[in-house]
Amino acid sequence: MTDKNAALVQGTLDMLILKTLALEPMHAHGIGLRIEQISQGVFQVNPGSLFPAFKRLEREGWVNSEWRATENNRRAKYYVLTASGRKQLKSETRGWKTQSVAIARILEA
Amino acid sequence: MKIFRYLIAGLRELFRRDKTESELNEELNAYVQNAAAAKVQAGSNPEEAQRAARLEMGGMESVKHQVRAVGWEFALEVFVQDVRYGVRMLFKSPLFTAVALTTIAIGIGANTAMFSLVDAILLRPLPYPEPQRLVVAGLHQRGESGMNLMGTTDFLAWRDHQQSFEQVAVLDNGNSFALSGMGAPEQVPGVDVSANFFSMFGIAPLKGRGFHPGEDGPGAPGVVVISEHFWRDHLDSDPEVLNRTLTLDGKQHTIVGVMPASFHFPSRRPVDLWAIRTLTPQMSRPPYGLVALGRLKPGISMRQAEAELGQITAQVNAQFPTSPELVGVMMPMKKWLVSEFSTALLVLLGAIALLLLIAVVNVANLLLARAAVRQREVALRMAMGASRQRVICQLLTESAVLSLMGGVFGLLLAWLAVRAFLAFGPGQMPRLNEVGINSGVLLFTFVVCVGSGILFGLAPAIETSRPSLTEPLKDTTRSSSSASAHRTHRALLVLQVALALVLMIGSGLLIRSFVRLSDVNPGVQADHVVTAAIWLPYKYTDPQVGQFWQQFLQKVQSLPGVKAAGITMSLPPNLLEITNPFTVEGQGYERNRQLQLAEEMTVSPDYFRALEIPLIKGRFFSTSDKVEGKKDPMIVIINETMAKKYFSGKDPIGGRIQTGDPDPNSPWETVVGVVGDVKYSGLDAGPGPTIYVPYNENGWVGWSRAMYLAVRSSENGVDLVPAIRAELANVDGTIPLAQIRTMDELLDESLMQQRFRTWLVSGFAALALLLSAIGLYALISYSVSQRTREIGVRVALGAQRGNVLGMVLREGLWLLMWGMFLGLIAAFLATRIMRSLLYSTSPTDALSFAATSLALVAVALLACYIPARRATKVDPMVALRYE
Repeated sequence: MTDKNAALVQGTLDMLILKTLALEPMHAHGIGLRIEQISQGVFQVNPGSLFPAFKRLEREGWVNSEWRATENNRRAKYYVLTASGRKQLKSETRGWKTQSVAIARILEA
Repeated sequence: MKIFRYLIAGLRELFRRDKTESELNEELNAYVQNAAAAKVQAGSNPEEAQRAARLEMGGMESVKHQVRAVGWEFALEVFVQDVRYGVRMLFKSPLFTAVALTTIAIGIGANTAMFSLVDAILLRPLPYPEPQRLVVAGLHQRGESGMNLMGTTDFLAWRDHQQSFEQVAVLDNGNSFALSGMGAPEQVPGVDVSANFFSMFGIAPLKGRGFHPGEDGPGAPGVVVISEHFWRDHLDSDPEVLNRTLTLDGKQHTIVGVMPASFHFPSRRPVDLWAIRTLTPQMSRPPYGLVALGRLKPGISMRQAEAELGQITAQVNAQFPTSPELVGVMMPMKKWLVSEFSTALLVLLGAIALLLLIAVVNVANLLLARAAVRQREVALRMAMGASRQRVICQLLTESAVLSLMGGVFGLLLAWLAVRAFLAFGPGQMPRLNEVGINSGVLLFTFVVCVGSGILFGLAPAIETSRPSLTEPLKDTTRSSSSASAHRTHRALLVLQVALALVLMIGSGLLIRSFVRLSDVNPGVQADHVVTAAIWLPYKYTDPQVGQFWQQFLQKVQSLPGVKAAGITMSLPPNLLEITNPFTVEGQGYERNRQLQLAEEMTVSPDYFRALEIPLIKGRFFSTSDKVEGKKDPMIVIINETMAKKYFSGKDPIGGRIQTGDPDPNSPWETVVGVVGDVKYSGLDAGPGPTIYVPYNENGWVGWSRAMYLAVRSSENGVDLVPAIRAELANVDGTIPLAQIRTMDELLDESLMQQRFRTWLVSGFAALALLLSAIGLYALISYSVSQRTREIGVRVALGAQRGNVLGMVLREGLWLLMWGMFLGLIAAFLATRIMRSLLYSTSPTDALSFAATSLALVAVALLACYIPARRATKVDPMVALRYE
């Protein structure tokens, strides 16, 4: 994510992280990488946005964290989605869909 | 619940700062390692991958900073950091800090002290349960305004017919008791009240009880409630005080209760005793001497109650067709107690607020001067990446620290000032026992501190953080403030001069008014006169009152050194006891004719000689006027104003008047003399009619129980007091000689409030002038030091001393002119709120405006001249080499 669209997707980044974690627990680098891959390079998440977002989500109680070994045997802090995080993701996804449909309608009108 | 979780998380972070920091470090390192590993997998060589990963991360510190900034605890940490830094910076320049702290402490201390007065007297509700339901009722004549006291007849009608009040009670306005049988007899302040007085307020006694219903019935045994103060001072806090008896006015009273010190009503003067006022139905409507109080029923408004009182008063009007038509009026009790003082208090508070503003401007200017020094440091911080907001925030925290430290000293000063005010200030103000520094006052002080910290910190902070990164860093040889800083500095100075002028004009007006008031001729020769109050107990029958005074006056008259001794019901300049309506022969009796009231008092023949009140026409009273066993002569003496106004073109001597409500059947009294006007209603009162009656006239002798003695002697009057006291004891040993004052003291005391506020405001104005002069001096000095080089060049090119002097002075004068212009406009608009405080002085009095402006110009010129003269001494060679 470049600085230009940072403000626009401030809240969206949280949702994308939650979505990524919904598949499986993941460490910071993996989360950034996955968002970049799935968005086919549209979103490049820099650590300056990523780490504050983790802290925010932890504070909200939507994710937990624990130290684990990575696939290539390094230590990394893995983030795990909590039940309330799952609920939050659901409601945010719903909200986002409603909004994007509405915006699309307006733009096409 | 959410807030709770945030709170816990933030606190945990604060206390485990090291652990979270190392964890974050580890996580960030892991991120870089993972990223590098990924790049190696994608085919980069390991070194290259490591470098790219680090680059991707950006500044490690910056990321950490962003993470830390997520929680609320971060703001707290930053704040604590700023405070610590601020304190350190203040200690680094102790002289600046000392000057700034002193200025702020004085400003905030004065404001806190004044606010604690305003808070206790004007703002806080009365200290009784549900005080908003307490009202005072009174009367005024139809077509008039204001509120006068009630009479017995009106009060009884109201008490018996009203439906709006839970209770109505009554207070006899103005009384004190002669206490005898406990050492020397003395006069103790107190009031007579109805039996339900205490239960209406809803205040429980400290000991014993209030009065029982029925104790104010005729023939009930004498009971009295005493104050905690009296209990302590006169009865040594005797635990067995209840049922002890006091001899008051020669009559036995049983003590039934002790009221706590917090209960003080009426609250303008000391009250130590509350005794019973028995009300019996009267045949006539006057006199009007009762304060009627009531506690409204819940849900009933004062307007409704007032309408009801109006109907009841209308019925009384119908019963007394000769009395003027009266209208019932009500006022919330708090307003009744304090409204007289609100203007003076608010003007004083305003003056002090102005002083604080001036102090704030001075501190702002000090900070601005320091801004030049701080600019390098700030530029360095900004070059390192601090945002401007961050820098401003930090500088503001610093000034808030300064003002809060000043506030702490200010509180100390305020505490001292309040103590001093209560001890030495003018008494006779309501609710002084409630004055103190409480939580409300502390809150006020805190808000004022933070507010002024921001006020004086903001302009310098904005100035210092002006984004010019390279200039201050480059400039190593001298520190100069930017042109805009100089502009701000000058604007603040103009503001300061303007504020100071407003204060000075306010004080000028008060001084002029005070001088005029002090110059008012009271109508008497005040020197060598001593006065005292003597109240005869009710056991004296009317003839005995006459005999007592005759005997006593003869004895005093024959004391060595006594020139003349007289008695009077009222004394100048403001001890007037009663006013009475009157009718001059030839005037009609229609009921709603404009009320004409005269100050009326009984006097003894030598009263006029004792005070040297000049005889203008006719004669004084004489001891031979009344012959025992014969009909009263029915004579009066009137003052000059009354003679001119009501006997114009005629000889007043031999003219006839009636007193009391207009009634053709009232007895006629003949004018035998005209004397000079005397001020009885205060030195600031306009001239009005005065009627003097012989003290022993049958209709009046009963009123002559409570009299003032006035004795003129050839030497210092106070020396006579022991002899007078001995003579009094010879006639009746139970009667105290109370309220001993010389006439000069009485005149002096009557001006206490005015003198106090004049001195106070003048003191503020002097401080304001001093602060502004210092501000001006500092600015011009600074400006001269900045222009040393320029001046050197000018002198080298042939400028004369006069040119240089003029050039520097011009800068100061220009600021002064602007300040005065704004100040004059502001003063012109602001002084009208002082109108009610001024005696025969217009709020836009030209002389006060001009004189204070001149004083300001003189002092300001001096403040500019000193640095300007220094400028003329600049040696061009030195100035040019200096660079």
